[in-house]
Amino acid sequence: MMINIADLPVGALAVIIGFGIANEFTERLQELGLTVGTKIKIIRRAPFKGPFEISYGHSSRLAVRPNENTAIYVRQVE
Amino acid sequence: MSKTTIAFVGTPNCGKSTLFNLLTGLHQKVGNFPGVTVEPAIGTLHVDNSEIQLIDLPGTYSLQPKSRDEELTLSVLEGKEESLPKPDGVVFVIDGTNVEKALFLFSHFAELQIPTIAIVTMIDAIKVQGGALDDITLEQQLGVPVLTIVGSKGIGVDELKAQFSRLSEFSLPHVWSSEELQTSERYSMARELTNAVLNIHFYDKRTERLDRIFLHPILGPLVFLVVMAIFFQSIFTWSKPLMDGIDSIFQWTQDFVSSQLPAGLFQNFLTKGIIAGVGSVLLFLPQILLLNFFIVVLEDCGYLSRAAFLVDRMMGVFGLQGRSFIPLLGSFACAIPGIMSARIIPSEKDRMATMLVAPLMTCSARLPVYALLISAFVPAVLLGGLFSLQAIVLGGLYVLAAFSGLVIAAVFKRTMFRGSKLPFLIEFPPYRIPTFRNLLITVGNRSKEFVKSAGTIILVLSIVLWALTEFPQTSIPTGTSPIEASRIQLENSYAGQMGKLIQPIFAPLGFDWKLTIGVIGSFAAREVFVSVMGQLYSADVSEGDAPLREILAKTIPLPAALSILAFYVYALQCISTIAVLKRETGSWKWPAFAFGYTFILAYGLSFFVYRITLMYY
Repeated sequence: MMINIADLPVGALAVIIGFGIANEFTERLQELGLTVGTKIKIIRRAPFKGPFEISYGHSSRLAVRPNENTAIYVRQVE
Repeated sequence: MSKTTIAFVGTPNCGKSTLFNLLTGLHQKVGNFPGVTVEPAIGTLHVDNSEIQLIDLPGTYSLQPKSRDEELTLSVLEGKEESLPKPDGVVFVIDGTNVEKALFLFSHFAELQIPTIAIVTMIDAIKVQGGALDDITLEQQLGVPVLTIVGSKGIGVDELKAQFSRLSEFSLPHVWSSEELQTSERYSMARELTNAVLNIHFYDKRTERLDRIFLHPILGPLVFLVVMAIFFQSIFTWSKPLMDGIDSIFQWTQDFVSSQLPAGLFQNFLTKGIIAGVGSVLLFLPQILLLNFFIVVLEDCGYLSRAAFLVDRMMGVFGLQGRSFIPLLGSFACAIPGIMSARIIPSEKDRMATMLVAPLMTCSARLPVYALLISAFVPAVLLGGLFSLQAIVLGGLYVLAAFSGLVIAAVFKRTMFRGSKLPFLIEFPPYRIPTFRNLLITVGNRSKEFVKSAGTIILVLSIVLWALTEFPQTSIPTGTSPIEASRIQLENSYAGQMGKLIQPIFAPLGFDWKLTIGVIGSFAAREVFVSVMGQLYSADVSEGDAPLREILAKTIPLPAALSILAFYVYALQCISTIAVLKRETGSWKWPAFAFGYTFILAYGLSFFVYRITLMYY
């Protein structure tokens, strides 16, 4: 099932399956290694729907602020 | 023969600047490029009697630029930047704990075909986990020599220096594919290579454990509050003895020079113009040193990005980002170091909006003005027998200024600085212990930069202000008391004449010509308002302002007094802030804009307060 990365619960594992829009924003996310097929894990969320932190790839940790551009679609895996 | 130029290239936070500092120390200057948040540092290095120019280019994730910083890096590498030479060689810095992002960047970089050596930093962090980096395979795959260094200890740096003298050992990187590659293809290759050369997944247990505290939903904000309280306390309170020390040294020098030279214009120029001007520049140094010290420590140890993560939501309400918090908090002590520290904000638009509202945060120079006016005009009564009305007014002014600043930032972000090409991202580096040497070099370079660029403008402007109050020279009848003499001089000076001339502009706010001169005089620094008032009312303010307070309370009507108080909440009455805004934005346009909009706000609030109080007075 396809869901937005911003809607994943803390601790969830998922695989990136695509981007909702093609712009410089999503281009940058891919340049940071969030390419299609990359496994990610939601580590934590800042209070009040603030940024969420994910880990992925070899040893990357990144916090992203959820907004209309954060259209990263993922498939949750166990 | 022209100088050899070597550029440092890498992803943001890869340890590039630390390495650069180790190599060049204090032999650095900062290039000035408008709109660039991390301006390239240019340093010199002497190896075997030859001089090598090193350029620390802004970090970038790819060579498809999405900000001015990244554009600059690309254009320097392509030799398209006029003010900087095309580098003869590149040191490509790879963060050992973040290899795949570095290799992804390398895949783009290789296509530029510049002679290169690669440096892997943080090799110690990998070894601690029992990991190892296969530098021979990496060398073969990249096509360039690979050196490993322990940045914090400087191990490997001498070897690197030796390489600089033999540019022939720099070699052209292998291009990864003859065809145009997609981002995902580049990443697959970068990941494959990372797995081939690095036998572990970097996973820092200490960082995980610390983050469980520092980013905890309840503990995290508590730690944040404590850290920020210490930070603020240090620039607000700890800088005080240092500033007092500098102040008394300059006082002493002034007195000494006065006693050695015959009284007259030259003596006056030397003491009140030059010495006082230099003093006003150096007076900012303690706060600049302390604020930079804290920022470098917070940044180097890795906490800064965690702090940004915690307050991002709150700052986001006003269109700003987490990192805007620190420059704004710092501006409560003084807008000068506050504005300078906005360099930690990676987005150009957020940085501009932050810098433009920083002067609205109530700095410590407003306190003497507030203290004088509040103690003279707000009755010292306790509301409900508990809360001092004076304290409530003072607190109210702080809250009003800060809140207005944030709202205006939100307006700027929705209009002038709308949108951003860059997503809002925070990378979490592993926690590290900052090295003393890097701290010293960075703080030293930033302070030097302030004295050299902003300091010069501040000095020139304060001499101009001196001239405005000292010319034309008025002959003073003998037997006049010194206090009376300085009143006569000021009243007849250009500043005095100007005050009388432009007073009609301020008449709707209830300012008489004396208050207007006070406003003009306080351009040197807001607290000068107090001494100008002292001069104009012939009150001796050298031992506290109690006598002046009594005179003011008797002579200035309450509505005018509250009106001037309101004026100082917003007005950008500070040439030093203007000088620093010019330095940091690269043009006079932005300080002019900041001055203009704060003036309109100040005028508006003052007018409102004056009219309202007139109705009830």
